Amino acid sequence: MSTGAAATPLLEVVDLTTQFFTRAGVVKAVDGVSFSLRRGEVMGLVGESGSGKSVTGFSIIGLIDPPGRVAGGSVKLEGRELVGLPAEELRSLRGRVVSMVFQDPLMTLNPVLTIGEQIRLAIEAHETVSAAEARRRAIAGLAQVRIPRPEATVDFYPHQLSGGMRQRVAIAIALLHRPKLIICDEPTTALDVSIQAEILAEMKELVAELGTALIWISHDLATVASIAQHVAVMRLGKIVEAGPTLDVLTRPQHAYTRALLDALPSRAKPGELLLRGGGVPDAAPPARNPAATVATPVLNAPYFVADRVSKRFETRPNALRGLGQKLGLVQPPAAVMAVDEVSLVVPRGEALGLVGESGSGKSTLGRMAAGIYAPSSGTVRFEGRPVMSDGPEPKKLTTRVQTIFQDPFASLNPRMRIGEGIAEGPLAHGLVSKTGAATYVRDWLAAVGLDPAFAERYPHQFSGGQRQRVAIARALAMQPDLVVCDEPVASLDVSIQAQIINLLMRLRAELGLTLIFISHDLSVVRHLCDRVAVMYRGRIVEEGPAGEVYDNPQHDYTRRLLAAVPVLPEAAA
Amino acid sequence: MRRETPIARFWSEFRESRVAVAALVVVVLMIGVALLAPLIAPQNPYDLANLVLSDARRPPGYVGSSGYTHWLGTDAQGRDLLSAILYGLRISLQMGLVAGAIAFAIGVTLGIAAAYLGGRREAFIMRVIDLQLAFPAILLALVISALLGQGKAQLIAALVAAQYAYFARTAHGAASAERGKDYVEAALSTPLPARQVIWRHILPNCLPPLIVVATVQVANAIALEATLSFLGVGLPVTEPSLGSLIANGFQYMLSGRYWISIYPGLALILLIVAINLVGDQIRDQVNPRLKR
Repeated sequence: MSTGAAATPLLEVVDLTTQFFTRAGVVKAVDGVSFSLRRGEVMGLVGESGSGKSVTGFSIIGLIDPPGRVAGGSVKLEGRELVGLPAEELRSLRGRVVSMVFQDPLMTLNPVLTIGEQIRLAIEAHETVSAAEARRRAIAGLAQVRIPRPEATVDFYPHQLSGGMRQRVAIAIALLHRPKLIICDEPTTALDVSIQAEILAEMKELVAELGTALIWISHDLATVASIAQHVAVMRLGKIVEAGPTLDVLTRPQHAYTRALLDALPSRAKPGELLLRGGGVPDAAPPARNPAATVATPVLNAPYFVADRVSKRFETRPNALRGLGQKLGLVQPPAAVMAVDEVSLVVPRGEALGLVGESGSGKSTLGRMAAGIYAPSSGTVRFEGRPVMSDGPEPKKLTTRVQTIFQDPFASLNPRMRIGEGIAEGPLAHGLVSKTGAATYVRDWLAAVGLDPAFAERYPHQFSGGQRQRVAIARALAMQPDLVVCDEPVASLDVSIQAQIINLLMRLRAELGLTLIFISHDLSVVRHLCDRVAVMYRGRIVEEGPAGEVYDNPQHDYTRRLLAAVPVLPEAAA
Repeated sequence: MRRETPIARFWSEFRESRVAVAALVVVVLMIGVALLAPLIAPQNPYDLANLVLSDARRPPGYVGSSGYTHWLGTDAQGRDLLSAILYGLRISLQMGLVAGAIAFAIGVTLGIAAAYLGGRREAFIMRVIDLQLAFPAILLALVISALLGQGKAQLIAALVAAQYAYFARTAHGAASAERGKDYVEAALSTPLPARQVIWRHILPNCLPPLIVVATVQVANAIALEATLSFLGVGLPVTEPSLGSLIANGFQYMLSGRYWISIYPGLALILLIVAINLVGDQIRDQVNPRLKR
């Protein structure tokens, strides 16, 4: 591809192989990866979890710890072989010639050092500087990554900065020594879309300004598309497809790339099944128990309503602080209004999407709707009856509102067989008899596309997608009418995400469910929901039919949010 | 996908530490000989008819008037020390295990109840426990055995009073962490009855740290019991535990008849060190921070 002048590429990776020697045998995390990168070029490395994209990044700069080992191949940086280089020499390259930005800056920044001290240490790793000079350069570095008031920020500790600011600090540290190459491992994954958009834009400018080459590792095709000129798609340790970003994304050659693109809800018509074709349809869910008593709805009451609900989180003072406050020695801490007088009506059968960025109060509102948190004020009613009791120890009163949680690794009891977990709720509420429980569980497992024999297994024996199916079966086995889904696909890979979205759409239609679907991912909400409510700082700022809100946003915040979402190039066909 | 059960996985990791396996073998052996004491001990040390005063204070290897060798010597009453140690081990283990089990039940109930209830009730329970932890366990046990008098039940009460607080603290910490996890919220939002959430969800997930505390506390209970018996406020002389045996021989130490105290002491040390080594290994295994 390169013409005569730029003869040697900046980075040349040939047949790189990294293996992990584990108890279960040798795992080839990176299996013969080859690519090259020119000066100032941005390459995206895309893949799902376990594809080996991060390990590829770590292998390049020699950060593979035992039991892992770079087993073969070569990594040449400006013609110099890095594989097999002594640790000391690799260290002298890291931060100076190649540097790295990680996903979670809270993990990579030292919590007990100020930003300025950390930058000084990073400078001193390769140069000797005076304290005043280090400070001057720290401030300049922070200014370069567009941190406001860098003279003040330099004395902050990491916890005093927001996620986006922390990631900017990490980028500033990576840029300190003007490296030739920066490897970014999912640098915006933990951030909100609007912050992600800012960082992407800044990163593009910085790279152009400094002529640094960039390897951008991400699971998100759209983010990669908005920054990288070249992209390589990884799967099971191999690069399955590589080329100019536009070509790969608009004319994918490999079946896997096509499947990845088809799995994206943003590329399908709302309400359509994703990843069309293939697969046997799952069994129908078991019938409701007709004998289960269902209270008759209160006449003329809306189906589901949250009536001016608020949630205030207060830190309860301990005895000493409480005394201090009474005596006026200590200021009481300000209460946080997570949700501030929000009203919401959901008619029967509707799917309402609740979108917003972190801290907007969408999860808190969802938890009040689901009867997990009692509102500080206001009530939540289902068919005219309160979902939770009043009093100092509120209890949930209905089984007809159920929840599916975000993280299927956390929401299943690790020490309970999944069959027991699915059966215990229906048994406790008489929805199924003791003798019928085993069959009921098997029917539900079949209905969510799992082998009924899995009932005997423990959660750790399942993958993330399978666990989320179990969590869905557990919630739906309670025979609810309304299901609150709190980011149910946020922690899953795109292809798994597509399967779970399909499953939710199918079960919603088959069971006539009403959904409250909480997500930070606007495309997922558009795909699944009839109506959307946008939350911002504890309030709903805009609400309406999904199509209208997306195509013609009224509120300023909604517009900004929609503009921040990275968009894939449209297929030319 | 791993098909092995959690217990099989636990055992395969446990096996990797030779020291721990050796310690476990020692613990199992000592429990075994303690259980079988009436069958394997050469002499019934409680049967006064068996004791011959002319055999008293004989060194190890002495062939007594009954015709068998006293491998560890005899004490001041002419009791075969090996038999006395086997029977003493039986009592010491019994005290440690029973006191540990009762302390476990009381402490875990209080700790989990406090974590589950929250608010003022949690504060009250935990402050009482903190207050109690401020006193040395030995002081507390001394006061209680002095008040209640001698006897097995009284001694167990003293041991439990000195130890339940450790279980309560650990259970409270573990349960507070589990209480906030999604799967407990999921169970509560089903809704499941509180009893079921505690028994089937919170308690099983609190067990790993509690098992570690339990092993260490059984060892501590045995040591505490020995201390109390040594000080004369533990078990009556008719039921000598290892602690009483050490106390019995103590007065002969300086006259060169070391075996009367030393051998029961060695048995005690061996038992406590072995239990602690097993406990250490379990702690390392259940501590996710040390996971490779």
